Amino acid sequence: MTSPLLTRIAAEHAAALTAQSATPQSLAHRRTALQGLLARGLPTPRDENWRYANLRPLEKANFTPGTAAPALSAAQLPAAIDGFTRFVFVDGQFAPQLSAPPGAVGAALVTRLQGELASDEQAFALLNEAFATDGADIQVAATETPVDLEVLFYSASGAAAYPRLNVRLAPNARLRLIERHIGAAAPAQFINSVVRVAIAASAACTHYRLQETGNAATWTDTVRATVARDARYDLHLLQLGALAARSSVDIALAGPAAQTRVDTVALADGQQVHDTMIVVDHQAAHTQTRENFRGIAAGRARIGFNGLVIVRDAAHHADSAQSLKGLIAGTDAEIDLRPQLEIHTDEVRCSHGATTGKLDDAMLFYLLTRGIEPAVAQRLLKWAFITDVVAAIDVPALRVHVQRSLASHMQDAQSLEDLLS
Amino acid sequence: MLIVEDLHVSVGTTQVLKGLNLTVPTGEVHAIMGPNGSGKSTLSYVLAGRPGYIVTSGAVTFDGQDLLALAPEERARSGLFLGFQYPVEIPGVNNVYLLKAALNAARKHRGLQEVDAFEFLGLVREKMKLMQMPETFLSRGVNEGFSGGEKKRNEILQMLVLEPRLAILDETDSGLDIDALKVVAAGVSSLRDANRSFVLVTHYQRLLDHIVPDKVHVLAGGRILRSGDHTLAHELERRGYDWVVSEAA
Repeated sequence: MTSPLLTRIAAEHAAALTAQSATPQSLAHRRTALQGLLARGLPTPRDENWRYANLRPLEKANFTPGTAAPALSAAQLPAAIDGFTRFVFVDGQFAPQLSAPPGAVGAALVTRLQGELASDEQAFALLNEAFATDGADIQVAATETPVDLEVLFYSASGAAAYPRLNVRLAPNARLRLIERHIGAAAPAQFINSVVRVAIAASAACTHYRLQETGNAATWTDTVRATVARDARYDLHLLQLGALAARSSVDIALAGPAAQTRVDTVALADGQQVHDTMIVVDHQAAHTQTRENFRGIAAGRARIGFNGLVIVRDAAHHADSAQSLKGLIAGTDAEIDLRPQLEIHTDEVRCSHGATTGKLDDAMLFYLLTRGIEPAVAQRLLKWAFITDVVAAIDVPALRVHVQRSLASHMQDAQSLEDLLS
Repeated sequence: MLIVEDLHVSVGTTQVLKGLNLTVPTGEVHAIMGPNGSGKSTLSYVLAGRPGYIVTSGAVTFDGQDLLALAPEERARSGLFLGFQYPVEIPGVNNVYLLKAALNAARKHRGLQEVDAFEFLGLVREKMKLMQMPETFLSRGVNEGFSGGEKKRNEILQMLVLEPRLAILDETDSGLDIDALKVVAAGVSSLRDANRSFVLVTHYQRLLDHIVPDKVHVLAGGRILRSGDHTLAHELERRGYDWVVSEAA
């Protein structure tokens, strides 16, 4: 497959490799990844699962990563969350002066991920493989008290960034991981991350992913999680930033009684496009999924959410519930919700609900009759729409951060300050 | 306090109120009774300013100002309160936040300072005790998961906190058991004074055993057909509405 875009990517790739010092096997691996990408091609809006994504900014994107991380001071970063050990990457490169020293953190071992990740068929994962230079490798041993880590990816310049995280939990390990993506408002950046999470038996990982990149950014990611017997994976996904963002999450419930909960909040305004696709694959018996999505689109923004739940032959007594809700807050805004079920066995319990609408007139009138300003009443109802999903964030300081971020995106700092107090 | 003159209101293509006249002087409690579909709820909604209720002719004066020219929130801040027949559930907006925001909106309108948090909680606790509501209600979503009776108590609680000039209570008594009815009546009575007026919209006379009204009006076919003192309520309970309608015809 070839296209002007792929040809340009190949040229940028060749130039980037000569500029980097890398081991021969690493170079070979990246060339293989690029070949994979060129053979496969990038997705287009004609692909069923990419209909709602905005891929056009890729035509103008710069794919070449920076060679040196720009200097950044700790004051330019958001406040750290109490008790969480922080590691910072700037433009995809580890920033030791802003980070805790790599090594042991409680039951975890955090090191730089400079090797390769297992191959992936997904186009954007291959693109990451082809260009990525740095990342974090997190291994967690069995522990009673969870290890609390934060990995922060900051995009400072117009260079492309390819963040990578490889997370492995041993049996009975516990991890709470904050993964934050933030960035300067300008210039436009291309950020393409890959995250792998492998959770062994009876381990538990709570993963908070905050996409708060600059609003000129193009953001794509590929997340793959495997959850073994009696293990659990809770994913909180916040989609706030970027001009065009697309998240692709695959969760395999591979062992009996594996569980996952995925809560997503997306807020889009202006010309933003946020598209999220989450696939949960029930491969074993008694596996459980709880999936919630709340999206508010204002202005001319578009939000897409595609939640596919697959229940395989072996997954008898699987139990899944999806609750997807969209709120249209702009006359030209659009929300597309697609709950999908693919069931290959009997004896399952799968429910799903998807609703998209405008603010409820009866609720609005009720608030007005109590003397509340119409603009405040509208913001209150928007806030109410997402609040249950935000409330599920069980790290109080992080929850407050998320609430404030949401409030500032709703341009409603004042009334929400009141609400939080 | 409230003067309604020759009010005509349509909802969609249906003319519901057809020349309604009503005067509620300051300090009085008026009951409006009438059969289903007579326009009682329409009157409540149109006074509160609900969109979709179109005034085709007539006038409403509240405290000397043209009520119909005000937006719903301005009516509320001027001291008009509507107790809903079916209070709306608003999950995610908590009760105490709404109470405080509503009170501060009214205070600001009157040129008063915002109430401080400590004073506010004291006030709310006192009113909740009167309404026999547990404090856990405060942290819940507005009317979220409340029973019918709890919702009605919550309406009265809001009224007690806001201390309106005119309260219109739309079938606040329907769906209440005797004990809840007494609590609601006690709430209303505690606020009854020479500077405040009430319009109680009701189907039944039993609420009026606890809150004796100054006047009772019969609303049928979109107009007030008969007015009298509190004994009219008993007569209606005994004889139904048909005789009023046929005498008026």
